[in-house]
Amino acid sequence: MTLAATFLGGAKGRLLPASIPFRFFVSAAVFQVLAWLTLLLAGEAAIGFRGGPGPALAAVHLLTLGVLTSTAIGASVQLLPVATRRTLAAVWPIKLVFWLTVPGTAALVAAMYTGNPTAIAAAAAATVVGLVLFSGLLAHNLWRAGDLAVVAAYGWASLVALLVVAGLGVAVAVNYGTGVLPDHPSLALAHMIVGGFGFMGLLAMGFSHVLMPMFALAAAPPHRPSFVAFTLAVVGVTLAGGGAVAGSSPAITFAALIGLCATALHLRLMTNVLRSGMRKRLGLSFVLIRAAWALLPATLIVGLAALHGLAGSNGQTLFGFLLIAGWLLTFLLGVLQRILPFLASMHAGPSASGAPALMSELAALGPLKLHAACHGIAIAALVIAIAADMVWLARMGSAVGLVGALAFAWFTGEITWRVVAASRVRHSAAPPADLRG
Amino acid sequence: MNNGRPAGVRTWKTPEAVHIDVRGLEPPEPMVAILQMIDGGEASTVLVAHLDREPIFLFPELNERGWAYEIVSSSGSQGEVILKMVRVSA
Repeated sequence: MTLAATFLGGAKGRLLPASIPFRFFVSAAVFQVLAWLTLLLAGEAAIGFRGGPGPALAAVHLLTLGVLTSTAIGASVQLLPVATRRTLAAVWPIKLVFWLTVPGTAALVAAMYTGNPTAIAAAAAATVVGLVLFSGLLAHNLWRAGDLAVVAAYGWASLVALLVVAGLGVAVAVNYGTGVLPDHPSLALAHMIVGGFGFMGLLAMGFSHVLMPMFALAAAPPHRPSFVAFTLAVVGVTLAGGGAVAGSSPAITFAALIGLCATALHLRLMTNVLRSGMRKRLGLSFVLIRAAWALLPATLIVGLAALHGLAGSNGQTLFGFLLIAGWLLTFLLGVLQRILPFLASMHAGPSASGAPALMSELAALGPLKLHAACHGIAIAALVIAIAADMVWLARMGSAVGLVGALAFAWFTGEITWRVVAASRVRHSAAPPADLRG
Repeated sequence: MNNGRPAGVRTWKTPEAVHIDVRGLEPPEPMVAILQMIDGGEASTVLVAHLDREPIFLFPELNERGWAYEIVSSSGSQGEVILKMVRVSA
């Protein structure tokens, strides 16, 4: 059968070379291993973290910049040009984004770990330049996403949040060395809120409007309630960020309540998608995605409790951990489990025998099961350890999380290796360009 | 919705194939409508889809189901794309 071999003329032009998205995904997998290792080493400093340079701050940024942002960049540059039908003008800006953000993040977390303010400021500047460049690429692509109104709206809001969080990040990083800011903790809180709920949270919610119907084989959620949820989310993030800067507890409280309404509506839309979808057996990835959905409102409730002194002495730490590792990391790992084999099968192309690469054959289930079990245990252990101030449990949970991260890195590495190998075979077998038409 | 498919989907039959027109739908609904037709058994051997973009994310799903595919007509990035899909394994 020769049909499959002929399909990809112009379509593949909008698929980036596999090395581009996969370099971000592999980096994310490595950063996740380093994050759990750093948490393991941080021990007591992690469960009582209140900000400031050290191992805990390094672990936080290994997760946010290293895992979450790297994955968001890799997925965005791969998925958006296909969805919007706008081919990226060139590949080199994305490579430049990689060389600024990934080594920049590595340098930043090393400087945070050792507590070197000058190095923190320099590495933060390099990373921010990369993120601003990525914002430009994202904006260029979103500009024409006319038939993806909900996703585009979330994308634009996420992009604005990224610029705000980058600006706040630089301010906080420079302040470690200069101490000129009058209220460092307030800006750091705003940085976390706008980064977690704004940049990453809105991006996750927006992509869900395409990915969940794709996974479940269902119609996309209706526009009107989707835009209501979007508006509530944006108002909540704006109010919370502004409230944090101003040190206004009532504003943050009101923002959290609005955020809970946005969450309830978003989750209702997503569960309706799953309920109406043709594919009922959604697999292991949806165990993680459903757990993450449960952790999103839990994060907001714990945040409210911490704000009013009702979440114990480590309430703020618990809120931050639930936001970054509970909701965002769990959701993103669930999605990655699903889209990595999908993207790999598109890039791998047919084998030498002409048979297409199948998603089901590219996904190694063993490492994924180990990862999901370890991730669940690690999150639960860390939540209890932070709430009850139990250092030994935090170390045990981090060790289990490390095993899970290694399993996920194995899964990512194996898929990447297959894509690279298939790409080499294809290039070595390719006829001269003028014979390909 | 018709037959559980997103609203706006048009289907018809010719002697050679079952056709589905998903132009104007927002992603991922074209892909979802086509897969619903295949999984629901409405297209058993040959399915021709009329789209307004090349459905790149559909191809891994077709591979998984044992369907081969070919773009038989494409009038540029803004025009109609006709995708022919043929079942090659049960």
